[in-house]
Amino acid sequence: MRSVICMFDSGYTLPQGREVINFYYPLQYGINGIIRICEEGIAETAGTPDMDRIYFFQAVILMLQGLQSWILNHAEEARFLSSLEKDEKQKLEYDEIAGRLEWLSTSRPGSFHDALQMIWIFQTAVLNEDAISGLSPGRVGQVLYPYWKRDMDKGLIDREKTLELLECMRIKFTEIDCFASMGVVGGVLSGNTFNNLCIGGLKKDGTQAANELEMLIMEAGITCDTPQPTLSLLYDEKLPEEFLLKGIECTKIGTGYPAWVNNQVAMEFLLNNYGHEGMQSEEARAWSIGGCLETSPGSWMPLELDGEIHWIPGGSAPATSVGVHFLSLPKLLEVTLFDGLDMRSGERIFPSHGFALESYEELWGAYKDYFHRAVHILTLTNNIQHDAWRKISPSLINSMLKPDCLKKGKDIGQMGSRFNSTFNVESCGTANLVNSLASLKKNVYDDKKYSLAEFRNAILANFGFKTAQETGSYSLIDQVATKEYHKWKQIHKAGLSAPKFGNDDQYVDQIMADWENWFCRMTHEFRSLYDQPLYSCQISVSTHGPMGAVTLASPDGRLSGTTFSDGSMSAFPGTDKNGPYALFESASCWNHSLSQNSQMNMKIHPSVVKGREGSRKFLELIRAYMRKGGFHVQFNIVDTRMLKEAQAEPDKFRSLLVRVAGFTQYWVELGKQIQDEVISRTEYEEL
Amino acid sequence: MENNCKDCKYYLPVDVFKGICKIEKTNIGPDDLSCIKFERLPKCKFCRKYKAEKEFLGSCLGETIAYPDMNASKCAGFEWFQQN
Repeated sequence: MRSVICMFDSGYTLPQGREVINFYYPLQYGINGIIRICEEGIAETAGTPDMDRIYFFQAVILMLQGLQSWILNHAEEARFLSSLEKDEKQKLEYDEIAGRLEWLSTSRPGSFHDALQMIWIFQTAVLNEDAISGLSPGRVGQVLYPYWKRDMDKGLIDREKTLELLECMRIKFTEIDCFASMGVVGGVLSGNTFNNLCIGGLKKDGTQAANELEMLIMEAGITCDTPQPTLSLLYDEKLPEEFLLKGIECTKIGTGYPAWVNNQVAMEFLLNNYGHEGMQSEEARAWSIGGCLETSPGSWMPLELDGEIHWIPGGSAPATSVGVHFLSLPKLLEVTLFDGLDMRSGERIFPSHGFALESYEELWGAYKDYFHRAVHILTLTNNIQHDAWRKISPSLINSMLKPDCLKKGKDIGQMGSRFNSTFNVESCGTANLVNSLASLKKNVYDDKKYSLAEFRNAILANFGFKTAQETGSYSLIDQVATKEYHKWKQIHKAGLSAPKFGNDDQYVDQIMADWENWFCRMTHEFRSLYDQPLYSCQISVSTHGPMGAVTLASPDGRLSGTTFSDGSMSAFPGTDKNGPYALFESASCWNHSLSQNSQMNMKIHPSVVKGREGSRKFLELIRAYMRKGGFHVQFNIVDTRMLKEAQAEPDKFRSLLVRVAGFTQYWVELGKQIQDEVISRTEYEEL
Repeated sequence: MENNCKDCKYYLPVDVFKGICKIEKTNIGPDDLSCIKFERLPKCKFCRKYKAEKEFLGSCLGETIAYPDMNASKCAGFEWFQQN
């Protein structure tokens, strides 16, 4: 593999996704109703200066007509299956499916079951239109609640039937697959498709938004534990205790969902980054997670049902995670230390920075210079890719769904959406960068225990160890020393002993704060294809495995080829020694609303959260982090010994689910680099 | 010529390796030999207009890319190449 500074280019691989779909138009108007809106748009536009809008409207009509045929094909198949069926109950079910599809091919849904079918039709339609990962259904429980409440009140549905439908929904979402390059699907995504369903948060009027249907959505996540849709709970102090405890009950089963996400921090981020496009606090409340953890803008839309208006949330921006993808922070430090050269491949990545690196400030300055150069060139590259995408393969169905494309007569590639400042700069390996800078500051510049040249030589010698590729182990556990280890033992110990992020240690936490405050702001200097400023995004997905694999040892004592720390606020495995509250102190050393997200993964032994008392303690733990301004935390409630058994005998653990970095995945679907990293994560045995 | 389940109108594919018989509701494989209830599904490879050009790839009337196992049930121009 060549030098990897940046992994994954969205423009060529997955130009859409990491966004929230919007189901308002099909629910409110039905397909024929949307066609009429387009026909009216054509009539109004013909002969006016902006008559190019006609092309968009006409294209949407053609797509919707195709969609109608596609729906009717499925209805025909259901009728065919019914004709073969001998069981009367099953036959009736096929006939109901056919009847429902025939109705929905033209008209708006009339029941909860209809509405659920309708959102699945459009979820699939958009996924069929383009290569997409992370098309999140958003706050489905709030979108569908008006239908469900009405059907419940009328006795048309009960909780048991609702749960069955929600379980079926989980099966369908888990069937979704993503077709892109092997490097992206395997290396970045670990085969996941990131259909994030959000619960909780606030309503348009600022009151809490949790409802009974969302309780059942969590219940379905417990009774039907599948990777999709993953759940994220938009934590707000206003949410009822019963709802939060249901979230705890769901998290405790060990599937990794729901992730806990800070509603107020996200809203502040959105107002900071979309305020210039007209977003105000009321609209910021309509947000949801797109993809694994990308804060995405939304809007409230007026769904009319039985003469009453219900304001439902939905996405109102295109992909929110396109831009500069997954910059390897430790690799950029390695290249800085070696004056622009990748010593593993021998390739020159940057021109010489020309600094002797005689002070920590000079090192930090050189690092920032290279980082800046990388973001600059990758922004231009990405803009070119997305320009090609929007011209060659414009999105129509997804555009039609998003406010305000139908009003503007423009697709999302022409800024038809209400919000368009959606390009970002993504990072990977944050804790390793910060720990490495702390090690060099401590050992080289402050204590002057070692020279920078000595650290460079130690890095090239991998501190006297075999590489991860040689040992086949990608965490610091089970690494094998060479005969040369004695030469490097002391400097390796110095690297490992230097202050580490995650222990409430001001020495290293200040470096984290300096990094975050610089990184989050420098991204605004760059302009997207739509001439909007970029913002920072701090998720690793699975890139910390392959990116670590092509990075030499780092000054924090990490060895060559081993996996980086996951997420951005997670400590490097085994280095957070002062308990979870110390980790929270470290992680809240900066303002998380400066960034689209931050990401923290924790591993807790199941015995710690056992019983009602354990649930209470667990909720208090999460609440403590949210109150400190932490954006996100997610958990593996799992015994490390079991993970080791699962690695040794995968066939016995085919249904085991684990949380990686923003997503839940079957253990057996993960590569060894990520499995080793999850095993080596610090396991908390007390809170 | 032996027929495989994957070419039968009663074959329901689950993935590339697995399928279900719509009549018997049993698990079957795409390459399993068909039974007496076999009815051929319209596919491009059975169409008079399909022209094989490479392994697993061809064209419709030499113009549009097509592949042999493409389901042609909804193709208005489908014409059987040979009688069942």
